[in-house]
Amino acid sequence: MRNLLRAYRSLIKAALITFFEYRAQVIIWVISFIFPLVMMVVWLAIVSEAGQVSGWGRSDFVAYYVGAAIVHQFTQSWATWEWEEQIRTGDLSFKLLKPLDPFHHIFTQIVGSKLFLLTTVLPIVLGLIWLAPGINYTLSPARLAACVAAVIGGFMVSMLMSTAFGMLSFWTTQSGNLYGLWYGVGNFLSGFIAPLALFPAWMQKIALVMPFRSTMGLPVEILVGRLDWAGIWLGLGITAAWMTIFTIIYRLLWRRGIRHYDAVGA
Amino acid sequence: MTLRAYLRLLNIFYKNTLMSELEYRTSFTANVLTSLFWLVWAALSVRVFFFQTETIAGWTYNELLVVVGLFFTMNGLRQLFLQPNLSRLSEYVQMGTLDYILTKPINSQFLVSLRYIGVENCGDPLLGLALLGLALWRMGYTPGVIDVLLFLTLVASALVILYSFNLMIQTTTFWLINIRRADSLVWSLLEAGRFPVQFYTGWVRLALTVIVPVAFMTTFPAQALLGRLPAWIAAVALLMAGVLFLLASAFWRVGLRSYSGASS
Repeated sequence: MRNLLRAYRSLIKAALITFFEYRAQVIIWVISFIFPLVMMVVWLAIVSEAGQVSGWGRSDFVAYYVGAAIVHQFTQSWATWEWEEQIRTGDLSFKLLKPLDPFHHIFTQIVGSKLFLLTTVLPIVLGLIWLAPGINYTLSPARLAACVAAVIGGFMVSMLMSTAFGMLSFWTTQSGNLYGLWYGVGNFLSGFIAPLALFPAWMQKIALVMPFRSTMGLPVEILVGRLDWAGIWLGLGITAAWMTIFTIIYRLLWRRGIRHYDAVGA
Repeated sequence: MTLRAYLRLLNIFYKNTLMSELEYRTSFTANVLTSLFWLVWAALSVRVFFFQTETIAGWTYNELLVVVGLFFTMNGLRQLFLQPNLSRLSEYVQMGTLDYILTKPINSQFLVSLRYIGVENCGDPLLGLALLGLALWRMGYTPGVIDVLLFLTLVASALVILYSFNLMIQTTTFWLINIRRADSLVWSLLEAGRFPVQFYTGWVRLALTVIVPVAFMTTFPAQALLGRLPAWIAAVALLMAGVLFLLASAFWRVGLRSYSGASS
């Protein structure tokens, strides 16, 4: 009996420690929303001084960036760094022995963390949005479906894009850095630094055909109701096209890289 | 041990890290180029705001570049001196290697805080200062002697404040074990320092000044350099740095007491 009690004490303590560990992680996830929100704050400071800019007022920016903060959490992918580590440490060799392509290991790991986000963080954030005045996303079921599709598509684009960059790890140790630079350029074209509608027309045209808008601007524009159906279909089409393009690039690099990897490893 | 002995130790530590880092010179060049890229990124992203307006909360584009430059400098100094050390703490505790540090005849807080230096990050502070200089030059403004002295006082205080803040967060590893991501927590909070606190309103501005002293990191030093800061704020910064340092050291000792090594 005494032993059982002691065991219980340890088990409960262990459970509590795990809980606190997760609690810390939840806080960190929430904090990482700050980044896009800082951008929002700047725009609010501008609007409070200059009035509306290009027809965007205070509540427009709030709705846009709160949506952007949420979408960014779901679409971002860190697969490049996972590939880099697997290849650099040689862990890839063990993954190659398994019947499943190594892609699936990294993919499921990242999808898992997104599901964690969905079950824990999303309810909190949605609650906050519901409580906060001024933000109301009025979505018809069809638009909601389009938005969800755009988020999933955006995640797939950034997953495949970061995987394609991860393949560069076969030849260089700088693939993570390179992806960082690419992502940095993308910040201008994704709708992160400013809603794309506020950019000059020529930049909007470039942004439209680049992959970055899929990972942020497109889902958010659908969410805040700034896009008509033609625009939604065009955006989703471009998303699908980039998914295909990055899949092809990734598979081509993978086939060449794995041959190179064998040669170095053997 | 005397202060001189500690300085001598620092010298040995830094030489040692530098030597092992020099083996990765390509990665060093790549790091500096990456820093340059993000500096240009920051300057351009700020430019986007000024497509729509002349001043934001009383700051012009050039003045804002001073703040951005300072952000890179301070964040770079953090990565140079703080991050390589304090982020290892949770590993020391998990692996039990903290035991070795505790048995050394020297202050454990010193060793845990200053053993390593992130040489590969030395580009950031230098590039940040270069942007700051460029911004002042574009304005055609030369700060006076008192401005510079105030500026240096504020920068030094800010570094101590950052250190204390970081140490307090990392010390929680004694209870929370796995807080490796805490680094990104600190990083996200500091991100607010990219812009002057005047951009923020109400309680956020208050929190960024008092609770998370982001204002002391970039806004106040920038204002000092531009000759717009009342001197008493520098006194507050010094006081705050002293108090936070004592608090963090006390917290570290409390944390140590609750640590039971792998061997005990």
